[in-house]
Amino acid sequence: MIETSSDRVSAAFRFAGALLCIVMALSLSSCNRHKGSNGKAGKGSAAMDSTLVIAMLGDADYLNPVIGATVTSSNIFGLIYPSLLQSEFDTTTGLMNYMALEKKLREVTPGQGKKTPQGALAKSWRLSDDHKTLTYILRHDALWDDGKPIISADFKFSYQLYGNPVIASARQQYLAELIGADKGRIDFDKAIETPNDTTLIFRFYKPVPEHLALFHTSLTPLPAHRWKDVKPEEFRHSPLNLDPLGAGPYKLKNWQQQQEIVLVSNRKSNLPKPGNIPAISFKVVPDYTVRLTQLQTRAVDVVENIKPEDFTALLKANHQLEIKTVGLRVYDYVGWANIDQEEYKKNGTFKPHPLFGSARVRLALTTAIDRQAIIDGYLKQYGVVCNNDISPSLKWAYNNRIIPHAFDPSKASALLKAEGWLPGPDGILQKNGKRFSFVLYTNAGNARRNYASVIIQQNLRAIGIDCKLDVQESNVFFENLQARKLDAWMAGWSIGLEIDPLDVWGSDLKKSRFNFAGYRNPRIDELCELAKQKMDPVGAKPYWIEYQEILHRDQPITFLYWIKETQGFSKRIENEDLNISGTFYNVDDWKLRPSANVAQ
Amino acid sequence: MLIYILKRLLIAVPLIFGVLTLTFFIIRLAPGDPAAFFIQPGISPNVAEQIRAQYGLNDPLPVQYFKWLANVLQGDFGRSFSRAQQPVFDVIAEALPITVTIAGLTLVANFTFGILIGIISAVRQNSFLDRFLTVTALFFYSMPEFWFALMMIILFALKFPVFPVSGLNEIGAESYGPLGFLLDRFWHLVLPVTVLSINGAAGIARYVRGSMLEVIRQDYIRTARAKGLPEKVVILKHALRNALLPVITLIGSSLPFIFSGALFIEVIFAFPGMGRVTVEAIFARDYPLIIANTFISGSLIVLGNLFADVLYAVADPRIKL
Repeated sequence: MIETSSDRVSAAFRFAGALLCIVMALSLSSCNRHKGSNGKAGKGSAAMDSTLVIAMLGDADYLNPVIGATVTSSNIFGLIYPSLLQSEFDTTTGLMNYMALEKKLREVTPGQGKKTPQGALAKSWRLSDDHKTLTYILRHDALWDDGKPIISADFKFSYQLYGNPVIASARQQYLAELIGADKGRIDFDKAIETPNDTTLIFRFYKPVPEHLALFHTSLTPLPAHRWKDVKPEEFRHSPLNLDPLGAGPYKLKNWQQQQEIVLVSNRKSNLPKPGNIPAISFKVVPDYTVRLTQLQTRAVDVVENIKPEDFTALLKANHQLEIKTVGLRVYDYVGWANIDQEEYKKNGTFKPHPLFGSARVRLALTTAIDRQAIIDGYLKQYGVVCNNDISPSLKWAYNNRIIPHAFDPSKASALLKAEGWLPGPDGILQKNGKRFSFVLYTNAGNARRNYASVIIQQNLRAIGIDCKLDVQESNVFFENLQARKLDAWMAGWSIGLEIDPLDVWGSDLKKSRFNFAGYRNPRIDELCELAKQKMDPVGAKPYWIEYQEILHRDQPITFLYWIKETQGFSKRIENEDLNISGTFYNVDDWKLRPSANVAQ
Repeated sequence: MLIYILKRLLIAVPLIFGVLTLTFFIIRLAPGDPAAFFIQPGISPNVAEQIRAQYGLNDPLPVQYFKWLANVLQGDFGRSFSRAQQPVFDVIAEALPITVTIAGLTLVANFTFGILIGIISAVRQNSFLDRFLTVTALFFYSMPEFWFALMMIILFALKFPVFPVSGLNEIGAESYGPLGFLLDRFWHLVLPVTVLSINGAAGIARYVRGSMLEVIRQDYIRTARAKGLPEKVVILKHALRNALLPVITLIGSSLPFIFSGALFIEVIFAFPGMGRVTVEAIFARDYPLIIANTFISGSLIVLGNLFADVLYAVADPRIKL
């Protein structure tokens, strides 16, 4: 009996073991299947010397300019596909410049202009006097990687894809001025004409400022001959998405989804030239701590968005690293519901919010918050007090006469007192029996906002305001914000390089989807419209100056700080030029020093 | 036994189906919008609507359910929302082998170390070694795995850079040859498998110790000793085999824990396995992928339990199925 039982036990273990071995052998072999054939990279450190490794938080969604919607995707397909114009942000003026081979929108400020126009597909352009017709002349010598010429029909074909509702491109907004767009259906026959292979004409239904016309007509083209047989409903899952045909400085060598995207220099490219570094690997590393560790151990060369608190340890551990900054494009703010959200949702009427409805109360809240303390404690030299949503980097429009509301609790108390908010028995301010108490919501997983929210809570408590904190999962937080369920929240925006704030501040809350605060000021609407009508952006400067003064006065929200994004770079990278328009905007010009030299 | 297995498999069908239906409704009722990414300034408000229409999310919930049901009954779990509209089983086919590898290695490590430590503890009951092993096992058993993972990374990748921290292979590993590639893969798996198995091994060690102590007090062990058999034979042949009987059931029941453990291990160590797919699908509200993942992991767990029960019957003649 004993022996029988023991034998059975060992038989059971042998059976389990054998099954496990089979399963593992199968799974290991299928893991290999995805690698296999790509044996071109060199060995060990030799491969490292010729490969730049960039850590990414997540994988690209599509390497297709029509549907690739994430920043990671556009960083990568931007290297694979050619562009009609070269664009560049001029840091001395804060204006975007657009360049064709033989024409520039603006003269380049000396010391600026690192990009050559060599990568542009357009030789030149001409905008008609009525600002309604834009004609491009394309170059003759541009070829797709399969040797077929890049022609005007590729652009017309691509714009029809961008505008197709079945494809649902995130960039369809770029087509909003084309003929027919005002009637809800773009008339592509009239809106885009291609009289010959090198002439491309865009027609708008209204006058469009030149910089905007260039911006909106320079969407990346796809090769029509390759995509023409793909049905719109199959566009998003076409196998061609995994095998992009471009003409840019790099081409895709290998894409292991959720792991790594490897680009190699495109030796055939003349747009502008083959990339300097032989191979670039974009590696998916979802965990922040691991990304940091990899940067320290030199397993990766670039990690974006490093928290300031980690700089010291990072630089101490690895002297071959440096922190580079880009900005200012991102700001955090505390949003206050200007209107009674419940009332608006129920009846569509506007009633001031019982706590935050008065501009004077909102001003008091701003002066009660020690924004500099948040910057000193967390962002340090990588933060700047924010007055409104026009970035100091957009120098041409920024109003530098505005003096930030200083931290002044006694002024805040006086303002609140004047509004009828007086201390109650529990030390919390009261007005008509209502306590000044609210919940400040923010999204989970943002250490900076967590830090700021605690300081804000303390600051407000000091003047008798009870602020409770609540952290919500990002998706839930955003949905609540859209559904106007929150009265006070902390969030952030990343601004576009063309100023267009109507989505955020317009009085028509149905159209202005991001006016979560419900701020309404007809003068702001008017200024935004006036600015749009100016054919030269600099001509709109007076409107933007007034716009900033109004926001500074009305404090629809409390603007906290602008953030310089901080990127960790290995010193073996040379020639890199970080720009507000992107960390990787001239990555094809970067060079790598061999590791032996870096160690010296 | 065959009838028993068939019966269990038949019962599993409505069970898994119930789980899927529940998941279908729970994820749709939870706040969050699969098209939320497309709601931002600079993107036309039409885009989110067009995307929702593509996903069929504009239909009323019961209509969505019956459409989904009709597809699932034909074996079509749909296309992923968040991963370039790949068919969900393609996504899983890429991810599952990685998780199975981790889970398999973890299972082996769990039982090897667990049984070994358990035997030593039992044989040397109440000795210093036993106490030391007991305290150590408890220490690891009560340690949160994500924290332990980060500590291991700091220790073995940063302070003493012995092991790699992320990914399945080194850059350029394809050129190492098949054996080198496989070794490189195993080298990358050392840290995650250690983290995942140490916790389970500690639990199994406690289990084996208890079971072993019970067995070595039995009469037949005394008889074996009285026959003059060497202690090694008594412990390993007579006692251990019987002590391992209850441990077999643990193989099946530890599967869910290993799979859920793989969830964060894969995020931390950047392995594109089932765990990471699931976590990312949940954050992106990728409904078809969440349901397909639930289907796969649910089926594996049901099968794991069935497997354990069958093993038990194979091992112990007193159990009749």
